[in-house]
Amino acid sequence: MLAFLVFATGSLGLLSATDQPVTVRIFEDLGEGAWLDPQGDPTTEYSESGFAFVRIPARFSGNALPLDRSVPFSLEASMEQTLERGEYRIRLRSKGLAVFLVDGKPVLRTKAQVPNTASHDALPEPSESDGVIRPAPPAHQDVLATVPLEAGEHRFRLVAVIGGKGLAPFPGELSVSMARPGEIDRVIGGSDAPLLTDTDWSEFATASRFRHHRDDIERRRQSDESVEAKWEERHRQVREWTLSQPGPEIPRVEDSEWIQNDVDRFVYEGLAEASLVPNALVGDLEFLRRLALDTTGLVPSATMVRSFLAQPAETRRTLAIEQFLESPDWADSWVPYWQDVLAENPGILKPDLNNTGPFRWYIHQAFADGYAFDRLVVELIEMEGSLYQGGPAGFGMASLNDAPMAAKADIVSQAFLANKLSCARCHDAPFHPFRQKDLFSMAAMLDGDAVVLPASSTVPVREGGREPYVEITLEAGASIDPHWAFDEFPDVGKLAPPPRNTSVDARHVLASKMVHPANHRFSRVVANRVWARFMGRGIVEPLDDWEDAEPSNPELLEFLAREFVLSGYDLKHLSGLIFRSHTYQRRPVRDDPASPGEAAKLFAGPVRRQMSAEQLVDSLHAVAGKGLDSEELNLNPLGNRSLRQFLNMGSPERAWEMTALSNERDRPSLALPRAQAIVDMLSAYGWRQSRQSPASSRDDSPSAMQALALANGSTGVRVTRLSDDSFFTRLALEERPLGEMVDEVFVRTLTRFPTPAERQAMLDLLGPHFADRVATGAADHRSGDAAKKTDGRVSWGNHFDPESNRIRMEEERKVRMGDPPTTRLTPEFRERFEDMVWALVNTPEFSMIP
Amino acid sequence: MRPTRRDIFKGAAAGLAGSRLAFSEARQLPHGRADACIYIWLGGGAGHIDTFDPKRRGDGKDIPGSYYDAIPTAARDIQLCEHLPRLADRMDRCALLRTVSHDLNSQHGAASNLMHTGRKPSGTIIYPSVGSLVSHELGAKSDDVPSYVVMGYPNIMRDPGFLGARCGYVYLTQIETGPSGLNPAPDVDSARQKRREMLLGRLRADYLARNDDDALVRAKAEVSEQGFRMAGKRFMDVFHLDRESTSLREAYGSEFGQRCLLARRLVQAGVRFVEVSFNLNFLNGTGWDVHQDGILKQHLLIQDLDQAVAALLDDLEEHKLFDRTMVVISTEFGRPAEFDAYGGRGHQAGAFSTLFAGGGVRGGVAVGTTDEIGKRIVDRQITVPDYFATIFAAMGIDSAKNLYANDRPVPITDHGQPMSGILA
Repeated sequence: MLAFLVFATGSLGLLSATDQPVTVRIFEDLGEGAWLDPQGDPTTEYSESGFAFVRIPARFSGNALPLDRSVPFSLEASMEQTLERGEYRIRLRSKGLAVFLVDGKPVLRTKAQVPNTASHDALPEPSESDGVIRPAPPAHQDVLATVPLEAGEHRFRLVAVIGGKGLAPFPGELSVSMARPGEIDRVIGGSDAPLLTDTDWSEFATASRFRHHRDDIERRRQSDESVEAKWEERHRQVREWTLSQPGPEIPRVEDSEWIQNDVDRFVYEGLAEASLVPNALVGDLEFLRRLALDTTGLVPSATMVRSFLAQPAETRRTLAIEQFLESPDWADSWVPYWQDVLAENPGILKPDLNNTGPFRWYIHQAFADGYAFDRLVVELIEMEGSLYQGGPAGFGMASLNDAPMAAKADIVSQAFLANKLSCARCHDAPFHPFRQKDLFSMAAMLDGDAVVLPASSTVPVREGGREPYVEITLEAGASIDPHWAFDEFPDVGKLAPPPRNTSVDARHVLASKMVHPANHRFSRVVANRVWARFMGRGIVEPLDDWEDAEPSNPELLEFLAREFVLSGYDLKHLSGLIFRSHTYQRRPVRDDPASPGEAAKLFAGPVRRQMSAEQLVDSLHAVAGKGLDSEELNLNPLGNRSLRQFLNMGSPERAWEMTALSNERDRPSLALPRAQAIVDMLSAYGWRQSRQSPASSRDDSPSAMQALALANGSTGVRVTRLSDDSFFTRLALEERPLGEMVDEVFVRTLTRFPTPAERQAMLDLLGPHFADRVATGAADHRSGDAAKKTDGRVSWGNHFDPESNRIRMEEERKVRMGDPPTTRLTPEFRERFEDMVWALVNTPEFSMIP
Repeated sequence: MRPTRRDIFKGAAAGLAGSRLAFSEARQLPHGRADACIYIWLGGGAGHIDTFDPKRRGDGKDIPGSYYDAIPTAARDIQLCEHLPRLADRMDRCALLRTVSHDLNSQHGAASNLMHTGRKPSGTIIYPSVGSLVSHELGAKSDDVPSYVVMGYPNIMRDPGFLGARCGYVYLTQIETGPSGLNPAPDVDSARQKRREMLLGRLRADYLARNDDDALVRAKAEVSEQGFRMAGKRFMDVFHLDRESTSLREAYGSEFGQRCLLARRLVQAGVRFVEVSFNLNFLNGTGWDVHQDGILKQHLLIQDLDQAVAALLDDLEEHKLFDRTMVVISTEFGRPAEFDAYGGRGHQAGAFSTLFAGGGVRGGVAVGTTDEIGKRIVDRQITVPDYFATIFAAMGIDSAKNLYANDRPVPITDHGQPMSGILA
């Protein structure tokens, strides 16, 4: 358990699980005639507190892979309720086709939503509000009927068709509510069902989404238990075989002050051979900041710092490592890395070249649920599950690509074998022993069948033109069979095959070869990647192409790879091994990372790193206590286009959830201004908005635009603004001495206390305005924050309407103004406090990893 | 020491370039004298048949043809659409490219990308935009200004691709809000900015003192100084269009015109490449993508373009910048002579028009001829690589030069040849 570190978890008000009187059943793959009268077995059955649906449970395969539901699917909800005799006004609110029945008799119907085809619709009129009932959101229909009911029990049944051809499969704000004359509509359901008012509904929707999210994870983990056991058995066999094989000899090092664990022994020997000595260790707080960024992607909170310091000096580092490795943010810290390496590239506006499905969610799931790494690799390569809503099938997609599996073969091969086959896409690789055939035979394995070389995947030799300086051994139109082009592995005795997801044999064969215990290339490549993430440089460079490369410390690499295999391909084990080493905990080598010397290559200490784009953006928001507050990443909020053309990427909470905003059309109506502000900052720091091809490192060398994005960009302005929702505003309003506040701000931003001179400078800045800082009579305006409102009517289907442009341009201007400043502090004090925060996040110390 | 891959490639490429050089000396490849470029982007697909390549009138329904009448211009044998009278008067300073051609008909995104990078995406590397390429080859004219500015939305087609973030751009989507990231927050006046920089200066100096031998920290401090210089008064003043006379601002016209005026000021300040995206979609609803009823008010777009670009050409001359500034009007594709069911037009990538002016471009010429309804090319197809090679040639950049994506040599254009007859 977490002894002293407090990780943020959602603390939303939860609905009690006991009061769920509405039974809900989901039916899929129905014929059109059965949509409104579903029969047979439902694919999912669950309960709700009332007839209000903002999110439908995710569906998982027996192996816990997320699945796409059929489009459309039918939702049937029913409950019995005892009522007094009287007249009841019933309201059905639905985006699409639905029917509501009382005691078996249909009383209300809504029509099917009309798909948009030409994007020339007019912007819908704003919904009119009577000041009480929450107005129907855009694209929703409200139908009402007044029904006389006898005293006694009545049966209510709703059947709604969700999504359809050319429609997005989301329920919107589907609900049925009821009122006696003179009363306010209340959602039909249990005693805690919400009133159909803005306040009640918003509270309900937030809690319901949270509950579904939590339940989805729980169901996913339940469906995972049997497959998990199979993997464990296989890992036991893998360990047995590996232990029967000779491993590297652990060097004896006399001088024990350098040594914390075996990693240090290998590193020390490497350094000693080059007559180098290791760097000194970093201080405790620098270590904590480094560790927190590496395991959570965030700077440590002030609470974490205090708890850390409260521990005995001898054990605090080890304890912190144990606890940070169990952080729920561990998954968030890894997703961006694999998004780059695996070229995860979903687009929100119609498929473009090499768009994939959003398999970011699967990667997150794999790390959050603690999958062994070989399992992740197998499941990715087998490409099953959801295509558009986050499963590994999304990895298998490469839109508009005439040789999609060749693209995937190249990605897999770079990621897990460090064989760069990209050149072989169009000709034999000039500096590798690979021929084009090797790439295409792996592509054929992924495809499950022979693939034909497209004409675009060759180099045209022009009549009388130059002799190409690459060799071409395949002609367009050639057919290549599935075939493992690399060495076969030795027999390892009894070994359970990896649990299988796919019906494509060759894919399963490829996946099994990749994670074969005798595939040392695989374990070394992955171990090297993990090492490079935390040490700033690989033992072998480049990480994705070993053809021309030598390891700087081969024994260390072999040791790490073997540890990785023995642990059952556990990245946490490997990471912990690295974190606990003195090598990780040393002062950085100060060479330019672009031209490292021997000390860097042999790891006298880690190589200097800047925060990654995601670490920076997430840390800035965490420091300010603000959410990303992006719009929903969805250009089809009205839902009248298909998911295939317009993915809905949801509302990001972490920077890795952002996506390319794809406004190639230069139309203000297609802009998402708040998301753009975040994307601008991410892009300046090396995040790739389009990941058409894999990358194992980023170009994030310092640039003037980086400094400016932070100093003046909209995200920088937002996080340094003392608005009512800023942590700093709350801090400044506390009854505490100014010196303590200054300390708190330093700890929160830089993970250290100010020097006496720094503290004095801030006291001089703020002191004269401190006593009178609280403005009288001002209120907290958080709930009415107009700057964050997005007009949900603007959608692809109406983006040509001039009014749609005007609305988004106005929103852009508001974003540029930043969050409204609090009026609870005097402007004199607030501005100076903001200036202090601004200086602290703009000093290079903030964005360098210590 | 064994040669690296890049050495080997460089050798091969040098051999190649050598032979090319000999070839070009013999043939005298054209080159211009532009040292900056203003790239006007008519996103959506501006119909050549309704602008720069007018044909017989159609009826808006069954009879294909132009939507407007044609008028004579200052150049003999060249006609323009009736809504381009000011450009008609200045045709002696412009060259029309009437047979630009590619095969990406359906997708705006893909075609726009092609008309910014000169290449179809390969999936194995990301090609840089023309702006990034120019920025990479020429840099900014001064240290205190960015080399590449976009007035439009940031997106992949404008990105630096494999050239990396250093060849990226500063962008703005609205003149009044200014460039994203450059100007301080609206509520930070100069006194406050000074206070901030003083606080930051002290923190940074201490940190540098503790880490003065660290290469990455030093680099970070240096670029941050450069950034603050860029965000300084000298460059930010460029964005204050109210420094110009009212009569000049009126001559430029609409907000698109003001963008063109800003482009001139940016070039004057030392920016190499300015992309100006046409942003008046609200005039007709669809912008240049005139499907359906978008065509009814298309003439308003054309008139606006006419006024703004004519003013820009005059203003560049007035400031003695015309001969060193290449102005390009570009778009992702044209539109067919036929009408859709609602009287609008679809897409046509097989033949469409762009315009060059200034920077040594020969005036009064029209390259290429399309048939009587602007559908097929009857004389001289202009490929996209040749189109870009000509822009690079006008700017004195060798369009065959190899750049490197890691180890892979990538010529600036895909075997494009600068066109003859356009550069003086």
